Amino acid sequence: MTPEEIQEIFFVECEESLAAAEGGLAACKAGTQDADTINAVFRAVHSIKGGAGAFGFAALQAYTHTFETLLSDVRDGLVELPPLVDLLLRALDTLSDHVNVARDGGAPPDDVMLLQELSAAQAANAGAAPAEPAPVQPDPAPVPAPAPAVAQAGDADEEDPDFGDAFDELDLDAMFGDMAAAAPAPEAEAEAEAEPEAETSFHVHLRPHAGAMLNGGEPLLLLREIVGLGGECVMCDVSKLPPLDTLDPCQGYLGWSFRLPGGVSQDAVREIFDFVGDDCSLIFGEAAEMPPPMISAPAQAIPAPAFAPAPAPAPVPVAVAAPAPVAPVAAAPQSAPAPAAVAPAAGAPATAAAAAAAVAAGNGGQSIRIDLAKLDRLIDSVGELVIAQAMMAQRLSNEGVTANEELTLLETLTRDIQESAMSIRAQPIGTVFSRVPRILRELASSTGKHVRLELIGEATELDKTVIERLGEPLTHLIRNAVDHGIEPAEERLAAGKQADGTLTLSAEHRSGRILIKIADDGKGIDRTRVFAKAVEKGLLSPDAQLSPEEIDNLIFAPGFSTAASITSVSGRGVGMDVVRQNVKDLGGRITIESEEGKGTTFTLTLPLTLAISDGMIVSVANESMVVPLAHVVECLRPKAGELQGLGQRSMFNMRGRFIPVISVRDVIGASGPSRESDNGVLIVVDTESAGQAALLVDDICDQRQFVIKSLDTHFRAVDGVAGATILGNGQVALILDVDGLVGGAMGEPERQAA
Amino acid sequence: MSPITLPARCDRATVESLLPDFVAAVGTGALRIDASQVTHVGQALLQLLVSARRSIESVTIDASPALRDAAAVTGLTVELFEETRA
Repeated sequence: MTPEEIQEIFFVECEESLAAAEGGLAACKAGTQDADTINAVFRAVHSIKGGAGAFGFAALQAYTHTFETLLSDVRDGLVELPPLVDLLLRALDTLSDHVNVARDGGAPPDDVMLLQELSAAQAANAGAAPAEPAPVQPDPAPVPAPAPAVAQAGDADEEDPDFGDAFDELDLDAMFGDMAAAAPAPEAEAEAEAEPEAETSFHVHLRPHAGAMLNGGEPLLLLREIVGLGGECVMCDVSKLPPLDTLDPCQGYLGWSFRLPGGVSQDAVREIFDFVGDDCSLIFGEAAEMPPPMISAPAQAIPAPAFAPAPAPAPVPVAVAAPAPVAPVAAAPQSAPAPAAVAPAAGAPATAAAAAAAVAAGNGGQSIRIDLAKLDRLIDSVGELVIAQAMMAQRLSNEGVTANEELTLLETLTRDIQESAMSIRAQPIGTVFSRVPRILRELASSTGKHVRLELIGEATELDKTVIERLGEPLTHLIRNAVDHGIEPAEERLAAGKQADGTLTLSAEHRSGRILIKIADDGKGIDRTRVFAKAVEKGLLSPDAQLSPEEIDNLIFAPGFSTAASITSVSGRGVGMDVVRQNVKDLGGRITIESEEGKGTTFTLTLPLTLAISDGMIVSVANESMVVPLAHVVECLRPKAGELQGLGQRSMFNMRGRFIPVISVRDVIGASGPSRESDNGVLIVVDTESAGQAALLVDDICDQRQFVIKSLDTHFRAVDGVAGATILGNGQVALILDVDGLVGGAMGEPERQAA
Repeated sequence: MSPITLPARCDRATVESLLPDFVAAVGTGALRIDASQVTHVGQALLQLLVSARRSIESVTIDASPALRDAAAVTGLTVELFEETRA
């Protein structure tokens, strides 16, 4: 794996962590949190911090550090949660910005004020030692061990901003058990010797061993941290370094002495090395001897613990030069047994809690992370399999072999595989919904409208590609709903509604498609105003007669900006026409239901997947074409007299209503003998832009699933054609772009009157 | 003896792969190490370079800023770059 790939995973995990934190804080806000909720938020932020440190995103790391410290205080019950929820939510929003900056570049968000607020809210308000991750509480918290331990674990991750091959470590949760094991003892010692540090400078001798360089660990980065504390290298011991021919790159031969200024506590130095633990010997005191290297393999290192379970008799005599009593060195091997014993106690609750949270979050099962490209190849192959299966069935039926048991079995299996492959790509729509609270918070601060969010069907699954591309239109619709739909509080109260608006987002499966509804309880679309605006913009003639639905649909017209006319807040550069285009690109449709004074509901109807769809196979001039079933309203065979010419266009009298008839043969420019129109079949289709129309085709052959192949990538974009597919007989059939076809055939002027 | 060129990223794995080249240079008298591209320095690299300076009669290192910085942090500037070693 390249560092770039690992970094990519980090950002994916950031997204997950942010979503988890968002969920946790939302629960806190709703007052439904339990003991583990804030812990889960802490873990999420902490994971981001660890990764940020490992990848060298200094700004992100520094920010998460402050955030995490406050969360840690909250978790330990040192500060009250309820008054902080809003601050934490804002902090989370800024964290999300930080992550985006780390990923995409750009100016880091301005977090100075926020950081001050976060610091001010901290329990002990760390004070003198801002460098300390978890302020050592003067009175030991009820369970002091796990908290600082975990916090330090994160710091330890910082050791490696550069060395990409190290990132098996990124599985932070898995590490915490070990961390908790390594840290408590030194921490306890640190508290025990809480005597004032000397004002004079002190020395530390350190020697990283082989283990410190394993797994991509890099002692040099730890040295840099010492330098960051104000340390200065006074000596590098190269005496143990063998000549080249016996040099083993895996061993640590160098030892260093650093002089640190008096203001720095020894604990601060120890913290840097907590993570490497036994893999780096650390001795304080100027006169102390440099710890010897542990060149040998573990076999010889093991006897060390036998020295003493008691910390006092260190293998290396510690000469006390500084006035401060020198505690037995944290990282020295002999201290190993004690933390090891603590490990199960400290580690277990954390692990159990993590597991519980995972289960609670619905991720209880085992999972693996797959490269999306691999998955897409699988989906492609399955698509080919579906085609091949259809081809074989067709061939066999041509040969007169039908109703074959094996063939039926194969068909079932093919469909099963196809569904399984599709379900791999499926993700719960909750990932999109989880961004909504933030949007609402931002809107609340910019418009002053407070909106309650109701989510229904977050677990509804749909294709990842659809999910990814759903974010933008959904965001716009939500902004729109809050900005234009929901009234200001006074107006709402006057109308007999609750002061806070309600936004309901729901998702559900319905007959192979997914319905997403964005409903607000605002004032509804002001049709008079929309109509007037449309006339003013020259979209309509003043005397046009439109049904309420048609007026509603006007807001999708390009250039029709309700934003500019009704309020000034929006203007995000995405108009409703773009929203409709986005939805259409996804093979979906958007409809509006609005009731004056009651609210507006936008309904997005989307396909579950972009790869396979249902369609009607029709023949036109001996060519097979596919009409996506999503558009089809009904099919009928016109009787003589039901088709009437109206100028150049022929119209079809559908139960007293005239709809335009579009001959697909003419539109595609097919040659060959033209059939009589009353000999063909009419397919009544619904379109986004042009209302209903009837497509005249020669015949309907079949209705079935088809695998969508992009024409753009294999050929080029063609007007009126959405893509292509391969039929059972091996023939390529074009998929009609019904919207484009009808819109194009009817032309702009008539479209407005339609 | 042609110079040994170090890659940008010199971590432990890089050093392991470079070691045979260095060992082969022992006894050839003079070695030139082109470290001008180095951006990531690890302890393993420092050990390799120091060991090389001590094992081979004359070792000249064209150091990148990153390497010089790492040497400064670790107190190895003299050890690595001075003509007459302390």
